[in-house]
Amino acid sequence: MTFELNKQVNLHVIPTEKYKTVRVLVRFATPLNKVTSSQRSLLASLMETNSLNYPDQVALSKKLSDLYGAGFGIGVSRSGNEHYFTISLNIINDDLVPNGTSVLESSVAFLKEIIFSPNIKDGSFEQDTFNREQANLIEYINSIFDDKQTYAALSLQNLFFSQSSSQRTPSFGDVETIEKETAASLADYYKEMIANDRVDILVIGNVAEGYVERCFKDFGFSDREAFSVPLFYQPPFQNVIQQKTESLPVVQSKLNLAYHCDIFYYDDLYFALMVFNGLFGGFPHSKLFLNVREKHSLAYYASSALEPFRGLVTVQTGIDGNNREKVLRLINEQLKELVKGKVSEEDLHQTKVMLKNQYLLGLDNQRALLEQAYLKVKVPVADISQEEWLGRIDAVTIADIQEVAKSVRLQAVYFMEGERN
Amino acid sequence: MKKIFYPSINETLYTGILDNGLEVTLLPKPDFHKTYGLFTTNYGSIDNEFIPLGHDSFTKVPDGIAHFLEHKLFEKEDEDVFQKFGRQGASSNAFTSFTRTSYLFSSTDNMLENIQTLIDFVQDPYFTEESVNKEKGIIGQEIQMYQDDPNWRLYFGILNNLYPKHPLHIDIAGTEESISHITAEDLYLCYNTFYHPSNMNIFIVGKMDPEQLMQFIIDNQKQKEFVKAQPIERRFPVENAKDIIKEDQINLSVSRPKAIVGLKGLDDVPEDGFERLKYQTTLQLLLQLLFGDTSESYLSMYNEGLIDDSFSFEFTLDRSFHFADFSTDTNEPERFANQMINLILKSKDSPELTERNLNLAKRKMMGKHLKSLDSLEYIANQFSGAKFGDTTLFDLAEIIDSIELDDLLAAQEAFVRPEGLSRFFIYPK
Repeated sequence: MTFELNKQVNLHVIPTEKYKTVRVLVRFATPLNKVTSSQRSLLASLMETNSLNYPDQVALSKKLSDLYGAGFGIGVSRSGNEHYFTISLNIINDDLVPNGTSVLESSVAFLKEIIFSPNIKDGSFEQDTFNREQANLIEYINSIFDDKQTYAALSLQNLFFSQSSSQRTPSFGDVETIEKETAASLADYYKEMIANDRVDILVIGNVAEGYVERCFKDFGFSDREAFSVPLFYQPPFQNVIQQKTESLPVVQSKLNLAYHCDIFYYDDLYFALMVFNGLFGGFPHSKLFLNVREKHSLAYYASSALEPFRGLVTVQTGIDGNNREKVLRLINEQLKELVKGKVSEEDLHQTKVMLKNQYLLGLDNQRALLEQAYLKVKVPVADISQEEWLGRIDAVTIADIQEVAKSVRLQAVYFMEGERN
Repeated sequence: MKKIFYPSINETLYTGILDNGLEVTLLPKPDFHKTYGLFTTNYGSIDNEFIPLGHDSFTKVPDGIAHFLEHKLFEKEDEDVFQKFGRQGASSNAFTSFTRTSYLFSSTDNMLENIQTLIDFVQDPYFTEESVNKEKGIIGQEIQMYQDDPNWRLYFGILNNLYPKHPLHIDIAGTEESISHITAEDLYLCYNTFYHPSNMNIFIVGKMDPEQLMQFIIDNQKQKEFVKAQPIERRFPVENAKDIIKEDQINLSVSRPKAIVGLKGLDDVPEDGFERLKYQTTLQLLLQLLFGDTSESYLSMYNEGLIDDSFSFEFTLDRSFHFADFSTDTNEPERFANQMINLILKSKDSPELTERNLNLAKRKMMGKHLKSLDSLEYIANQFSGAKFGDTTLFDLAEIIDSIELDDLLAAQEAFVRPEGLSRFFIYPK
């Protein structure tokens, strides 16, 4: 059930007796932008570290221990044209607390402290904390390079979104912009975010709706305006395939591909797109897995993934550098097979069964349920029943999959060349 | 079949040991859509020297063979088991650790069919020279991928220092060289020895009818014949504190140095399951008090910029080894290691070891424990680890409750010895 706390500030409560924990999510949303992505990322680091009344990590961690080891974190992410700053809190049910006190009530007070009393004095974040978290975040971003799978994925994104600086920039920002922030400029941005962002508070667990509503009723937000960018980002199609090869002192080479795809979340062909992805590289029975890995032993991993909020399908492989051309050819062949509709009834059936299984597994997962609840509010056509969801997967035909496959067109190729050649 | 009800967490366990020695544990979770099944053998990457079933002397097999066997069990003469599970709407997977190999499925439908597939495929090996040789390319790529993972290399760097002879220091998947020697015959030798039902357990959690399910598993096992069980004899190289490599380093493609400090347990851990879990829990609490994010040591290292959010520590206890490790990304790896070692050596007199801090840490641990019971995968993995005899995850609340400050001091005294310390660094290339 949804309660409007203020204009553009909503509380969504999902009561269930299934779990021993209560999960709370407070999400701030704003249009995606290169500069604010960086500011929000740094802000997340600062607000997660301390606050006015818990001025260092020990004080803050002791408070979390006191709340029976509450899980607490602040992260940034994005979806299409929107950027999210999300606070999450995970606590045990009040009925498991030995002495009958309410951890939920204390947790709401804690959230209030974190959101409305950051460590700002005289219009600036506390300088030592700021300096340290700024340096740590820069180190963190630089260290993404160390994780070669993530690094390859980000390099591919950089190629694919060459025409949009906000899409190209990772959700956690970039070093250049973060370096420019000061303790005062970030405090200004904090005020802006708290005053203007769309806010959704989501609570799932063994709770009474009325009680949760009372807890959050006078939480402290004010009314705000709705923003008007569309949720989906539609990348322009480019006639030239962007290519980049980078030699690095690593053992394994990586070949990552990006495809343009005009089908978005819950579009008419969205269910066909999911089935397409399952057949292409989404499952162990997919064409990529069976041909690149099992049949030709060319890779340990070879898979495809969807980004249905910004028109993108990606393929990622970890291979021996010598096999680059061979793997590229094999991947293209698999896509062509799908364009031609070369899919056995058995594979089609198996893909549908697997997707339905994944969907039902998601219904057991608190985190997934909260994300689903959030999306159902933002994308009303996604608010369908379990039966309808399963039915729409079943209804996908091979002709639908061919239509999807035809619209999936190669746009960018990133190759990380290892030393083993 | 035994039925045990745990009122404080409102859970009911069903357990039984079948005639062939197979241990079966069932945990119904009626509200869930999911059923998660785990079939585990008490056999992992360190078990590379043993007396094969029916032989009378020790044999050494190539490194990485337990993991290789795990891959190959999915392939049958006429089909691939992944695909069979897929058709039945289940996801399946497997993993190999130092001491265990587990096969799993998770599904929301066709539960009995999936359980039958799980049991039957693990109990029906099919290895040929051809298929074994083909797998070497795939596993070779897997090994290469791990070679490029700096955190994996850091972890094995410290294990190599602490356990230079014990096979714990060898990558679970082996090396490209070692797996090149594996034959189908080797796989059968290991399979016949370690995949006997008396060395295995099944844990199933989620949506189920426990009585019906237990009978189903009993009937399945009755149809199969197994040779008589024999106690398994394993052998590990003798190692003492003098063998520990005190320091080592490598260069990798990283942006920033990484440091890890290891502390090898040279004391004897309790034999009794309850006491052993209590020992592990006590050490976890001790480390939490000394170095957790509620400690002044953590705060001062963080504020000095010596550590950041990548700092973590863990206590690991399993069949034939126990150790603690402390790692971080840092621009001053030497200074981090020195400071860590200094804090460890002086930990007996640490001002953090107070009743008040212990109570807070216990409260936190209890909350985390209760929260973990929402994860079917976590519960299953804990139970099938079976490291503590009859004592299980569901006894943990009682153990946490029972631990006192004196227990921490005694554990500190036994575990922390200067000769057990070592350090390892990764520097940018």
